[in-house]
Amino acid sequence: MKLPLRWLVTLLLTIFSIYLVFVFNEEGPLRILINLLTFAGIYGLAAIGLNVHFGLTGLLNFGHASFMGVGAYVTLLLIPHAAGREGEITESGLPFLLALLIGVIAAALFGLLLGLPAIRLRGDYLAIVTIAAAEIFRLLVRDLESITGGVYGIINFSEALQKYRPAFLESFVSNYELNPSQVWVGLLSWISILLVLLLLRRLTKSPWGRALRAVREDEDAVRALGKNAVWLKLQSFMLGAGIAGLAGVFLAFNYGSLQTTTFVPLLTFYVWAIMILGGVGSLSGPIFGSIIFWVIISETDKLASLIFENANGQQLAGVRFVLVGLLIMILMIFRPSGLLGKKEELLLNVK
Amino acid sequence: MIDQLGNGLLLGIIISVASVALSLLYGVTRIVNFAHGEIIALGAIVTLFLSGPIDSKVLFLDRFSPLGMSFFTSATIAVLLCGVFGALLELFLFRPLRKAEVGNIAVLVVTIGLSIFIRHIYLLFATGRVQNFPLDLERRQTYLFFEMTPRNFKVLIAGLIVMIIIGLFLTFTRIGKAMRAVRDSGELASVSGINSDNIILFTWILSSMLAGLAGIFQAIINDVRYNMGFLILLLIFAGTVLGGIGTSFGAMVGGLLIGIFVQVSVALPFMEGHTEAKNAVALAIMILILLFRPQGIFGQKERIS
Repeated sequence: MKLPLRWLVTLLLTIFSIYLVFVFNEEGPLRILINLLTFAGIYGLAAIGLNVHFGLTGLLNFGHASFMGVGAYVTLLLIPHAAGREGEITESGLPFLLALLIGVIAAALFGLLLGLPAIRLRGDYLAIVTIAAAEIFRLLVRDLESITGGVYGIINFSEALQKYRPAFLESFVSNYELNPSQVWVGLLSWISILLVLLLLRRLTKSPWGRALRAVREDEDAVRALGKNAVWLKLQSFMLGAGIAGLAGVFLAFNYGSLQTTTFVPLLTFYVWAIMILGGVGSLSGPIFGSIIFWVIISETDKLASLIFENANGQQLAGVRFVLVGLLIMILMIFRPSGLLGKKEELLLNVK
Repeated sequence: MIDQLGNGLLLGIIISVASVALSLLYGVTRIVNFAHGEIIALGAIVTLFLSGPIDSKVLFLDRFSPLGMSFFTSATIAVLLCGVFGALLELFLFRPLRKAEVGNIAVLVVTIGLSIFIRHIYLLFATGRVQNFPLDLERRQTYLFFEMTPRNFKVLIAGLIVMIIIGLFLTFTRIGKAMRAVRDSGELASVSGINSDNIILFTWILSSMLAGLAGIFQAIINDVRYNMGFLILLLIFAGTVLGGIGTSFGAMVGGLLIGIFVQVSVALPFMEGHTEAKNAVALAIMILILLFRPQGIFGQKERIS
């Protein structure tokens, strides 16, 4: 009987937080909600990927931002774009879907590349290696200006995705004064979530999924049964990294430009907060976690600007991070299983 | 390359002091403390507000003025306050977590949350600007074969003296020996009558004071920023790992080496025009060390997989 209660509370909290958006915003609540749901979809997708790592397999990955970054950079560099200081234009490119596929595969391969040596490390060491690798990735991307646009970033790539925008969206959007490109990106990210969840549901119920959880619980036992635990962990690392890469692509299209500063460690910590809130090990938990998280984040900004009158924009943005940090601490101490996770499935001790 | 050696030593001494602090804490408590950088920043920020000129308003969203105290007094008070802060963290956060037998992965995630939380409190109430201590500008001079300002040279000497003191302290004093005993085996230590709770509390205080001192060094050599600790945290991890996690003497050498690597790498031929990526070199070294010699230069073999 415990399961339905947990779900009930989660659904009620999600609905309540969406309701709050309408209470707090008298002007254009729908526009704010769509913006928020788009971010929630993208970050939720990334958190689902992270949950494959930590929730299902027990891998302490703190370099999630780099997987998102690899997916985004590879995809955008393959489609028509402008990059760098001069905004050098590349007009030719692959069709979007093909580029996306290559981007996601690249993210998965980056996961393999990083995982191949690192996956044998104990939990806390893996955390340090992944966060360091993510920083190396970010520093290199910033440094290799001739390829990645460096600090000037990549722009003018949105058309490659927006030209597939269906016509019915336009009429719907114009009725409510919404931003059509964002609605399209948001819609696609939520469709991706559904597809990824269907895939993961199949996978986790398969023998493969059971073997993964067994690796998390007792690696030696898995080895004793003749399974290759390292290869299982690597597969999990690649799968989660690929999902993160997909999220990274949508994040870039939602911003409309790609900057190296997007992929700082704080992005990883955002995704961690969402995963813990939603429930470690719960497949669909991150979705609800993400919606609630983004409502909290976006409403904090307004509250903060009321409380701290003479704070500047940077400081107001800091308030949300104060909350993110607090959320991570409190959840980890008092409810590490989050909204939908199962406490007995949590890996909290270094093995 | 020699030009960069002086800079490397200065960065190295900051990382070295901070690495010893991190390593001591990890050795005794097994906590990988991601909030270490925030204690570093605390040392610098407190010093700034004690010593800053009284006619400016910077604290708490520009409502209060600094106290205009002398620099040395300010720095001393700041280091002591960092110790108090470390004690509070242990007493009100980490000791209860330990008593509740919260797993160490959970504690690691808690320190990450703590780090984000404190860092942005600084941003809110302290400063989002890059600031400097109210110290006079000095001209660089030549010492042996590297150039630095007299003040930075004093920092270097002070750092080395602190290391020597820490080394002597750990080797010869009762409490230093007790710390090493708890590090090697908590159970055996408590069997021999060592109160491990007190030792852990003392380690938190010592580690935080050292971190605060490293922050003051960093601020003298560079500047004060709300995220100064986080910016250098991964280099500190690198120094700790290079020397051998949990070893104090290793962390000293490892920290110095990482600082020198980072600065000297700027002068390497393939790094020409890529100075922004210099930290990547140190992080790559750390990853390689973890993969091929996880016990570091001085550490003992330990299971890490």
